[in-house]
Amino acid sequence: MHFKARVGEKLADRILQENLAKAKPKFVDSRAKVMLELDDIEATREAAKQIRNRSLENLDLWLETFESKATEAGAQVHYARDSQEICKLVVDIARRHGVRKITKSKSMVTEEAGLNRALEAAGIQPVETDLGEYILQINDNEPPSHIIAPVFHKSKEEISDLFARTHNTPRKTDINELTREAREQLRPHFLSSDMGISGGNFIIAETGSVAIVTNEGNGRLCTTLPKVHVVITGIEKAIATLDDLSTLLRLLPRSATGQAITNYVSVLTGTKRPDEFDGPEHLYFILVDNGRADLIGSEFQDMLRCIRCGACMNHCPVYQTIGGHAYGWVYPGPMGSVLTPLYQGLENALDLPHAATLCNQCGVVCPVKIPLPELLRKLREKQVERGLRPLSERIALRAWAWVARRPALYALGTKIGVRYLKWLASGKDRIKVLGVAPAWTQGRDFPAPQGETFRELYARGQRDCAR
Amino acid sequence: MHGGNVTARDDILGRLRSKLGRNAQNAATARQAMGEVLERHPGGPRPSQPADRLAYFRQRSEALSTTIDEVAAFADAPAAVAAYLKRHGLPLAGGVAPGLSDLPWAEAGLRFEARGGRPDDLVGITGCFCAIAETGTLMLCSGHDTPAALSLLPETHIALVRLSRIVAAMEDAWQLARDELGRLPRAVNFVSGPSRTGDIEQTIVLGAHGPYRVHLVVIREA
Ligand code: SF4
Repeated sequence: MHFKARVGEKLADRILQENLAKAKPKFVDSRAKVMLELDDIEATREAAKQIRNRSLENLDLWLETFESKATEAGAQVHYARDSQEICKLVVDIARRHGVRKITKSKSMVTEEAGLNRALEAAGIQPVETDLGEYILQINDNEPPSHIIAPVFHKSKEEISDLFARTHNTPRKTDINELTREAREQLRPHFLSSDMGISGGNFIIAETGSVAIVTNEGNGRLCTTLPKVHVVITGIEKAIATLDDLSTLLRLLPRSATGQAITNYVSVLTGTKRPDEFDGPEHLYFILVDNGRADLIGSEFQDMLRCIRCGACMNHCPVYQTIGGHAYGWVYPGPMGSVLTPLYQGLENALDLPHAATLCNQCGVVCPVKIPLPELLRKLREKQVERGLRPLSERIALRAWAWVARRPALYALGTKIGVRYLKWLASGKDRIKVLGVAPAWTQGRDFPAPQGETFRELYARGQRDCAR
Repeated sequence: MHGGNVTARDDILGRLRSKLGRNAQNAATARQAMGEVLERHPGGPRPSQPADRLAYFRQRSEALSTTIDEVAAFADAPAAVAAYLKRHGLPLAGGVAPGLSDLPWAEAGLRFEARGGRPDDLVGITGCFCAIAETGTLMLCSGHDTPAALSLLPETHIALVRLSRIVAAMEDAWQLARDELGRLPRAVNFVSGPSRTGDIEQTIVLGAHGPYRVHLVVIREA
């Protein structure tokens, strides 16, 4: 479905609109409050930005360092260029170890790859264990609508119905009880799975470790109980040291959920040691490109600093109005509007760079200071450069440019334009149907021009001064 | 060791190198700078803290729904644990980390076996490598003496924390690990309160997949 059609559908969806309105203030308010605990928010953001830049500027070498440290600790490091390679690697590893069931902790990269479908096709059962991801999986593999709160778009009533239907249990409406029910459904899966898959918030070159940030404890279970653990994460997630991790952790949970720290931060290094009771005997890393490497050295490199906190979407007026699904791919909101065209092809996401008011709320809250509006603007430029804009828009812009270079003609044009708009408004301050572009006023009114034009005001000002 | 996947690796690293304009000379310069970063591991800005570290640790922990008790010495811990369990109507049995097996658990009327975590455990008792005041966090290092599942599978996790092991920030915890352990254990788990989820309507609920309760016994003995 086309972006605009999806948006129309989402705007008309009353339940979604109610759910979005309810969810929004929680993230925004709690973030604002907990950020104040940092003595110097700006200095911390700047430090985080420098940490991420330092990795990206020598990403090849940091990856090599990580690789040698991780291998030393007993892990195996693989690389995947695209979704197909990710799926093939995981299926191969699963087959090698005779794996039938996999418990998964949340990983957006596996969403990029459509990994669950590939596993099912190979006869391996993937079980999503993050509460939100689990809800989506049992709801016929619905895609997430938010990168850290996958069921942001759902009300508890919808989840109550889904649980009663799927688990064959009496319908519960208390969120505590719903959570306990999910816990009881999932515990047996944790205990019987042969392999755990997790994402990785960061991979640390100093020690060859992966850092995983969770609240529920499912990430710990997936990486402690099964005999095989596979980490799937992007190549850009490399950082240098444990101290860098400490700095980033002051910002990631705060920006994401308004917590000073998540319940659990696991830093995992290598395989089960001889004297340990638990831990995986095999640890694999799959470091994913999927379009990332090509951003290095490009004008979009800043985007790779992203630590996937979701603050940009939580603060985006467009996201808050249309929800995550309208964006059409894995990543929604401002960061998705930049990433989707870059990873999926400019021509496959023409509307996304325009699905923003460029109000810069996202740029202000981003913990690693990614200039999101600027990147969106650059993407718009790219579309023009590559001739991807519609013919009518190109002709209109040409015409405008031609007129704009002829001041007398331009003045005349605006004069006529303003008269026309005033005539359309017929004395009111809003225009209900914009004559030449009626589509524009389908969902909103156009403000009618008031008083004099800028040129008239300016000319009068000049005259007054002269006197 | 890259399995059958040499081409993907070489392709990805190769593209990174060419995009970064890598050559032998700038690689050498970069490696030297990286070596310094790894050696010095510079930290970022840290929030300031009140001077009374225990009071701050307590405040930060309680804000996360962790409960805290204080005793004078390790030998007093079992009685304090027994009192806590009775107060909450919790079972007086479960697993205790082998590192703490020599404390007088039985004398306090408790039946805790020194072992790893089991799926049917309702209570797990562990020590901790250190604790962090800034966020009210425990640092658990996996190993024979502190099995990872023992703080994870039971509904109640009780941890003994020595007062002298409460450090200010995570950076200090890493430094302790560098100084005392040499290499990192397989799993370092930072635990900050009972497990929770906010996935349904962004409403926080305690006890997602991990413990519902985290109780700390701070030991003042040096
Ligand atoms: S772009 Fe910035 S705000 Fe958005 S998810 Fe990434 S790090 Fe967070």
